[in-house]
Amino acid sequence: MADIETFYDVMRSQGITRRSFMKYCALTASALGLGPAFVPKIANAMETKPRTPVIWVHGLECTCCSESFIRSAHPLAKDVVLSMISLDYDDTLMAAAGHAAEAAMMDTIEKYKGNYILAVEGNPPLNEDGMFCISGGKPFVEKLKMAAKDAKAIISWGACASYGCVQAAKPNPTQATPVHKVITDKPIIKVPGCPPIAEVMTGVITYMLTFDRLPELDRQGRPAMFYGQRIHDKCYRRPHFDAGQFVEAWDDDGARKGYCLYKMGCKGPTTYNACSTVRWNEGVSFPIQSGHGCIGCSEDGFWDQGTFYDRVTDLTQFGVEKNADQIGMAAAGVVGGGVALHAAVSALKSAQSKAQTTPTPTNEEA
Amino acid sequence: MTTRSLLVGPFNRVEGDLEIRLEVADGHVTAAYANSPMFRGFEVMMLGKDPMDALTITPRICGICSISQSAAASAALGDLAGRAQLPQGALATAIMHGIENVCDHLTHFNLFFCADFARPAYAGRSWHERAVARFTAMEGSAARACVAARAEILHIVGLLGGKWPHTLAIQPGGVTRAPTLRDRIRMGSTLASFRRYLETTLFGAPVEAFAEVETAEALIGWDKGDAGLFMEIAADLGLGEMGFGPGRYLSFGAYLLPAGRAFAQGVWQDGALSPVDTGAIREDLSHAWMHGDTAHPSEGETHPDEDMQAPAYSWCKAPRLGGQSMETGAFARQVVDGHPAARALAQQRSNVRARVAGRLLEIARTQILLERWVAALQPEARFIEDVSLPAHGSGEGLVEAARGALGHWISVENGRISGYQIIAPTTWNFSPRDAAGLPGPVEAALVGAEVSETEDTPLTVQHIVRSFDPCMVCTVH
Repeated sequence: MADIETFYDVMRSQGITRRSFMKYCALTASALGLGPAFVPKIANAMETKPRTPVIWVHGLECTCCSESFIRSAHPLAKDVVLSMISLDYDDTLMAAAGHAAEAAMMDTIEKYKGNYILAVEGNPPLNEDGMFCISGGKPFVEKLKMAAKDAKAIISWGACASYGCVQAAKPNPTQATPVHKVITDKPIIKVPGCPPIAEVMTGVITYMLTFDRLPELDRQGRPAMFYGQRIHDKCYRRPHFDAGQFVEAWDDDGARKGYCLYKMGCKGPTTYNACSTVRWNEGVSFPIQSGHGCIGCSEDGFWDQGTFYDRVTDLTQFGVEKNADQIGMAAAGVVGGGVALHAAVSALKSAQSKAQTTPTPTNEEA
Repeated sequence: MTTRSLLVGPFNRVEGDLEIRLEVADGHVTAAYANSPMFRGFEVMMLGKDPMDALTITPRICGICSISQSAAASAALGDLAGRAQLPQGALATAIMHGIENVCDHLTHFNLFFCADFARPAYAGRSWHERAVARFTAMEGSAARACVAARAEILHIVGLLGGKWPHTLAIQPGGVTRAPTLRDRIRMGSTLASFRRYLETTLFGAPVEAFAEVETAEALIGWDKGDAGLFMEIAADLGLGEMGFGPGRYLSFGAYLLPAGRAFAQGVWQDGALSPVDTGAIREDLSHAWMHGDTAHPSEGETHPDEDMQAPAYSWCKAPRLGGQSMETGAFARQVVDGHPAARALAQQRSNVRARVAGRLLEIARTQILLERWVAALQPEARFIEDVSLPAHGSGEGLVEAARGALGHWISVENGRISGYQIIAPTTWNFSPRDAAGLPGPVEAALVGAEVSETEDTPLTVQHIVRSFDPCMVCTVH
């Protein structure tokens, strides 16, 4: 692989036609919310810029991110996965095995020093010097640090890498720790969710490879284009919420009629993700459409918020036009720094945007 | 006599991390030690939580067999409450679960297992060029077709369960979504398309023709499609004489429907079938980095030994049934269920070829079941009822994941989880030694494998280990 090899070269060598390539560029532009004018720009970038190598490593995890990724409906996704980014190193899919595989990673790091993207799935457990996740005879945290040292940027795939996820649930036996707490000197983009939506993953990686920069991030480091709105804002059951029509039990009439799942513990009102618009498994459905509330898997700490079927009680009804930053982390059900200020701002805005008094439903309603 | 010790790993193309230490003398393995080097502590995290949280947390043990974990957790909660899923809910659960199992088998065959046949070490074999074209990792035409076919059939799980992986729809009382008539038609056409994929790509013949092979000769002599290519390779490389299992097969029985389990529950040993007595299961901790005593999973605890003291060498506990190791998986399931070709193959002991053949058989048989199940969905029926859980009690949830017998054992006190133990299929297959020094099935299967002087990652060892389709993230959890 010569250094001047472009994405287009790689795609051509994989037998992808010019027509498919142009279609891919057009679909990418629309998936990223860019106008038709961007199509030739994307095409030009893919034809002229050197291919950016990707190293994909797995720490403490369940591989659900990879599983999601390889069934993306994103433009020619299987080709994106299997050829375009040509994952130079991936524990789960690659051909090599054993120490030859470890050597392949070192070669890639050496060859593309400072130019490759490191994609991290899972996270390092720090307890007992990292002994709970050993890869190639060494704690995963060492492999992560080594691979990160010469990376251009890091993608934290999923809730594990971004926040810790269920394996960090109390008492967090292995001290599973998100990537940004271990690697502090590199640009990190968080793509949370358990797993993230496939189209979000391919969208993010395509943007980075095409434009050679990070997409716009929100305050938590998530790409704003996909995590800018709450599930609730675009939920097809939203009219039932507004009309006060709720499912009260799994098998009741409201469940049959597709009423709002808020009283069944749905975390849609406090969760920022694209599930209600992009949906899952090639746009087929998403959890709320299957009659189960959202569990908020793209939010920090979703695994330790009491039971998943408790009703969200700290909800104030903000307008749909707010994004995560405007509303603040407190409203998102997450405890963190700067909470008070943002909560105040949110309250103020909610007062401005809606005439309703706080409709925070309480348990007495049930 | 030349002896050496060899550390094989990390294994790629398995779910999770795995290392195997081999002792080799005169070109053959004399002892093997399987190490699962990843521990997350799910059983510890479950303590003190609301029992219903098991439905959300335990599926996240594994991103490839999350529906199996979900179904096991739901079954354990149902057992705790003394209730079963409503019939139509059980049917919807079986459809989702069957699809996941078929997808796992396809992934194993196309992405994880057959990729090794494309290695340069096999150049010059009569089938090598075809294997390279079909099975090369990430590039082979079979690998690509498989990824596309899997994504499409998972639309059905999407329709019924909202999302895959990690669906939330499976509950002790049924499933949260009642499919509509339109969904049923759509699922039927998706299955028809999947059938075309299987018939043109994998089997090269009608699904029934493969599912109904009656003899071992017809199965291992299959000569059409990718299945035929595999059988040709297997015969040439002697995969049928490699990686012998213990000859004891365990299946908890797959797909719990009102009429019973679609694939039977039982233990097959010495040519006879006996019922599974889960009371005779013990998890032995003598060679696991765990504190505590050997215990039944309903009383088991998980206290990792952070000093990782010898003689332990793995995070994996060693489950035994009546003191014996058990092989579990698709082949075991087909043997226990009484498929004639599988029973015939089991007359020798299980081996690398038999395990792969068992998966192929199951893909064909499950396709037929799935079509029947989808046709039996009644959109007007109820799919779920509310199940309230007792504040005190215990439950056992037994299902069959793609890789074999999966059990969840839950204890509840004062409405909170006081005990939660999980035994995954790979925990059985990749268990370390027990107090009596008896090795786990993979450890035993590796003894005798050929390792040439020049090999650091011996190919026979790769084939044997991968024939069990290890899922290491489930193993230790």
